[in-house]
Formats: sequence, C-alpha cells, structure tokens
Amino acid sequence: MKNLVQFTRSLLGKAALLATVAAIPAMADGKTLVLDGSTTVGPIAKAFAQYFMKKYQCDVSVSESGSGNGAKGLINGTCDIGDMSRPMKDNEFAAAAAKGVQPVAHVVAYDGIAVVVNEANPVKAITMEQTQKIYTGEITNWKQLGGNDAEIVVVGRDTSSGTFETFEGLVLNKKPVKATAEVVGSNQAVANRVKATPNAIGYVGIGYITGLKALPVNGIMPTVKTVQSGEYPIARPLFMYTNGFPKMGSEVFRFVTLHLTEDGQRMVEEVGFVPVTNY
Amino acid sequence: MRLQTRHVLDRAFTGVGIVAIAVMAAALVVVLAPVVSKGVGAFLFRGTVEYRRMNLELFKRGDSAAIKDELALARAARQPVFDAVAAYEAECGLSELHGLEAKLFQLEQKYRALSDRYNDSVGDDRKALRRERRALKDERDGVEDQVSTLRQAHTADLKRLDSFLDDLRALFGPLPSDGELPITEHLRYGQVRWDRAKVKLHRVQFARYDGNGDGIIDDVDRREVFRGTAMEPVFDLMERDLSAMMRPRLTTYFRFLSDNNYDSHYFGGIKGEVLGTIYLTIGAILFAVPMGVIAAIYLCEYARQGRFISIIRTCISTLAGVPSIVFGLFGLAFFLNTLHVSENKSVLAGSMTLALMVLPTIIRASEEAILAVPRSYKEAAMGLGAGKWRTIITVVLPAALPGILTGIVISMGRAAGETAPIIFTAAVSQGAAVAIWEIASKGTPALPWNIYNLCSENQYVDEIRHVQFGMVLTLVAVVLLLNVTAIVLRARISKKLKG
Repeated sequence: MKNLVQFTRSLLGKAALLATVAAIPAMADGKTLVLDGSTTVGPIAKAFAQYFMKKYQCDVSVSESGSGNGAKGLINGTCDIGDMSRPMKDNEFAAAAAKGVQPVAHVVAYDGIAVVVNEANPVKAITMEQTQKIYTGEITNWKQLGGNDAEIVVVGRDTSSGTFETFEGLVLNKKPVKATAEVVGSNQAVANRVKATPNAIGYVGIGYITGLKALPVNGIMPTVKTVQSGEYPIARPLFMYTNGFPKMGSEVFRFVTLHLTEDGQRMVEEVGFVPVTNY
Repeated sequence: MRLQTRHVLDRAFTGVGIVAIAVMAAALVVVLAPVVSKGVGAFLFRGTVEYRRMNLELFKRGDSAAIKDELALARAARQPVFDAVAAYEAECGLSELHGLEAKLFQLEQKYRALSDRYNDSVGDDRKALRRERRALKDERDGVEDQVSTLRQAHTADLKRLDSFLDDLRALFGPLPSDGELPITEHLRYGQVRWDRAKVKLHRVQFARYDGNGDGIIDDVDRREVFRGTAMEPVFDLMERDLSAMMRPRLTTYFRFLSDNNYDSHYFGGIKGEVLGTIYLTIGAILFAVPMGVIAAIYLCEYARQGRFISIIRTCISTLAGVPSIVFGLFGLAFFLNTLHVSENKSVLAGSMTLALMVLPTIIRASEEAILAVPRSYKEAAMGLGAGKWRTIITVVLPAALPGILTGIVISMGRAAGETAPIIFTAAVSQGAAVAIWEIASKGTPALPWNIYNLCSENQYVDEIRHVQFGMVLTLVAVVLLLNVTAIVLRARISKKLKG
C-alpha cells in the first residue's frame, strides 16, 4: 500500500514536472535569492534587497509571513534565507536535522520593543512590572497608572510572532496574556490599532513608533542608543538563518554579511533598527 | 385575501425592492467613490521639483538641463531657511560644533580610505599602514569626544534644532550641510508630491511632542519655540514661499502601471504586482478551463446519471463553498511540499491553487450551459448522422459557449482578486517583476496580496497611501474590465448564434 502511494506520488510529481517543462521551453537560470519570515526583519530584508539588486544585479524576493514560516521555509527548502525575530526552537532544530538542514544564525541587527500608547494618552512612564500586569489583566484602568479613568485596550501579537515571544519571555515571564487582549498580525497593525484607539497599549519594534507615544520603561526611553548600551530592558537580536554557513562569495553569503559592511550598518540605522557594528 | 391587503402588500414589496436597489447603489458609490478619487492620485497629482529630480536620477526621465535649472531656483528659494539655521547656530555658539563635525566627517573619510589601502596591502607596508591607521583612529576618537562634550553642553538648543532639522529633511530631503547621502533611496529626496509636502510643512511648523508637560503629545508651535531667535521668521517665510521651494506642477504618471517599485513602494510603480496578477489569473484559467469543461461534458453527456454522479455534483458544489484560505494551505501542502512543482513559492504553484479554487465555478457554469442547449439541436445533429463526440464538439459546445465564457470570466475576476490562496504559494511582498520564463521558479508580488501587505506591514504606509489606493483602483478596474468583457462577449455570441 505504501509502495503504491509512493509510486502514485512520484508519478504525479513527474507528470507535473513534465507539464511544466512542456509549458515553458525556455527556462532561464536567473538566480533569485528567496527570503521568507519575520515581519519585523522585513524592513531590513527589503532595504537590503533593494541595495542588492542594484549592486549585484541579483533578484531578491522577500515575503513576510512570520518567524515561524521563515523557519519552516528554510527547513522545507522553500527559501534561501529565513528571517526570524526570535531564535529557532528545539522542535524546529529537530525538524531541520531530520531533513538534513543545518540552520546557521546570522544576527543582522538588534531591535528594541517599545511599549506604545496613543499620543493623546497622558501617562508618562511605565515599568516592566506594570506592563506585565496590564498584559496579564491585573491592571485594567489607566487610572491605576496615573492616567485617565478609562479602561485599557490591550493590543498584542499572535503567538507565532517572534515579537510576542520576546515580549512573553522578557516582560511577561511566561505568564499568560489575558483572554480579552486583542491580537493582531503585524507590527504595523499594532501601530495602526494604537494610533486609532485613545486608550490602547501595544508593543512594536522601535522602527514603527512614528505617530505613537513610546513610553520610557523603567525610566529608559527606547532609542537606538539605549538598546545599543543595553540599558533598555526589552531588546532582542534579529536573525537571518541559512542552511549551513554559506559559501564565501556566494550571493547568500554576501546577503547575510551585508549588515557587517558600512553601507549595511547605515541601512539598518535608516530603517530604524540597532546595528551590530559601529563604524 | 382582500384586494386592499394585496395592494398594500404589493406596494410594500415594490418599496422594499426600490430601497434594496438604492442601498446597493449607495454602497457602490460609498465604496467606489473614494477608491476612484484617491486611486487617481497615483496617476495624476501635483509633483514637486523633487519628483522630477527623482525621476531623472532613478528612472532617467526628463530634461536634465531644465530640471537642473529648476532645482537651482528651488534651492535658491530654500537658502534663506538654511541661512537662518546658520544664524541661529551662531547665536547659540554652535558654530564651533559645526566646524568640529565637518572635521570629524573628513577624518572619517580619510580613515575609510586608509582602511581600504590597509586591506589591500602586504608586508612592511601593512605594518606602517596599521600604525598610521591607529593614529588616525585616535585622532578621530578625540574629535568625536570633543563633539559629544560640546553637544552635551548645548543639549537644549540642539534638541530644538535637531528635531526641526529632521522635520525639514522630511520636506526638503538631505540638507546642504549634511555630509553623506543616505543609502535608503527615499531618504535622498524631499517630498515628491505637493499634498504630502504641505503635510510635511505643517510638521515643520508644528513639532510633535509633549509641550506643556501633561504627558499628551500634541502640536507645538515652533514659532513659539524659536521666538526671539534668528529662526523666528523662517516659519512664515516657508508658508509663503513653499511653492517656490517645491515648485509643484500637475504631473501624470501613467507608468505607475509599468514601473518597477523602488524602496518598498516609496517610489516607482506596480509593474510586478500587475504582471503577477495577470500571470496568476491566466495561469489559473489555463489549468482550470480544460479540466472544468471536460468534466462538465462528462458529467452531462457521458456519465450515467445516478447516485454516484449526484454525490460528485454535491462534492463540487461543496468545493465551491470552501473558504479560499483552505485552498491556499492545501496548495502549500500539496503542490509545494508534496509534489514539489517548484523549489519555492512560484507563479505556477499559485496558478494551480487558484485553478483548484475556481474549478467548481467553471464546472457548474459549463454544466448549466450545456444542459441549457435545447434537446432538438442534439437530435437534429444525430439525425444528420453525426456521432456523439461530433455532436458535442460542433453543436453542443458552440451553443453552450456564452454560458461557459461567462463562467470563465467570472472565475477570472475571482482569481485576480483572491488573496488567501496565493499567500503561501505565490505571493512575495517585494520582488522584481517576474519574466514569463521564470513563472515556474519564482514567486511574484500580486495586487490583492500587496494591497494587504502595504497597509498591514509596510512601515511607510502613511507616506504612500496613494500607492495603496492606486493598487486598489487598478485591481477594481481589472475585475470590472473582466466583468464587462464577459457581458459583451456573451451578448455578441448569443446574437451571432441567434442570427
């Protein structure tokens, strides 16, 4: 039975392949770098892609479908580079090992996660503990933080998001988020929601705080400087994963080492992240 | 029922009908009016001199000499602003800082050149260069320290000035005093659109921060912030002369449809998205139509009508109601992860997934059309000695063609506008336009996905709403065009068949 299934599967595969080949007589070998994964790493990946296409005439396609999908893509071989805003997990490593894929992490930048509120919110500062309590449901009214007498609208990210996992690890200490928290799918979506909602609180990468009020956490403002110095408490590295360390001189190698060049550093700064180099 | 009641009911029904139609028309206007009015902004707008400079430099379009002249005029108009900044710096004792910063910049350039030489050198040369470089680094670090000490001493003045200069950069692009140009392309240009320029002018005049210490961030009038300094007159001047500084002119940009995007859609057009949508739609139809029509012929003409066939029919109807995201996930699991039709996301995998999604619609439409062919046609063909196959090909199908075509075009509209099936199988958020021979190996941007992506994930979305609406307008126009084509085709063919 298993043989039959396998046979059918290979037959189907071949049929599809044949159809493809027949349909497209002239297949060019135009090399494309394929990136998939984190929406947080997206702006860096897109800026690098633009630079790369211009400098090396190499097509780069970038998809932003979340860190988890970046890992999956790398493991299934559907992308060359998996963007992730969290490290790979044990089960992902196991899945990779089972498929003969060896994930290698490249830290392209650091990112601070800013706790943001609407610009019309009078609250001036927040602590880690207060943030945790807001997200776990212990604090429900801005009055408790010295703000207006209004219920806090808690906006968070879905559990597959790397930003969520960092936030969960650093701020929530793995305590569950309260059930009534709103869950949205991307940094920009959190930003949009908080911009439109006077009593909302959310968390986004520091590249997304335009038009929002970022609160100092434990007295430290989230800026490139405070993240770089390690003072700002909610920060995490951003990764690009490759299968094995790329061959030197290959396109993948150039791409994942671009952040180490001076131009790369400046691009990372220009899109609002914290570079790992200091030229 | 009494006649009276019947009349009343009749009228009520008419009334409800009219109201329903009115609501539909209003909804259409409410939805379409902003789409059209804002979408047109992508094609027709008042472009500033920065737009023409960008067009010249990035796309090699426009009259280089004329743009240079115009740019000179604009720069001359902007000069008083920069002069005021310089005067303000002198007032606050920041000129020294400026000199030091210029020196620092030079040292950095030198250091970089030396580093390059060092990297290429060998042997003793290398040692000497290393020493030289270290010395230079020390000197640079010294100046850097001086700069930061000075900056510390003037924190308040600098804070005012720097935030003003940042807002000014958003309007004018890099300032003459800025050393190096940014690498990110959109930071190299000022506002390219007049409507955005006016928004940015407002931001220059009114800073966004907590001015009175109540924690609320709101507009703070910079005239007050800089009251009594050399900067004070700048704000009225800018308001008065903004059009001389930006030189807006009515601009058409029809190449929006055929230009590649630049810098996460900040500049350029939507060629990749348009082409991707066309490929995906046509691909889906190429896969779905032969399968769908053949299946419909089989179901109507050959299959023995019984329980089995009615079960199949039910299955097809059910398939038509399956949410599109399910097809998307199925496409990922089946075409990409099981069959490996391509190594990664590709137009091919996306087309196949879309084809599966529209297949039920095409089968049902074709079936209905075939069943609607009068029995007498078939009987006449048979009577003239044609076989079953010949009858189907020469008599039934042509007669059913209008119905089949309608089904196809409606499916095309759906395939063009569907997002979920292509998320995992074909759509990428940034990538070059795909060439026809690459459809089996490359993913593509596509209109529906990128509209969503732009508003949910693009960090510049507030700056480039016009691109988003331009995409929406294009997509609506494509779908509308397909539907109109369907209606026209259908009308023509049925007329031909009757005549």
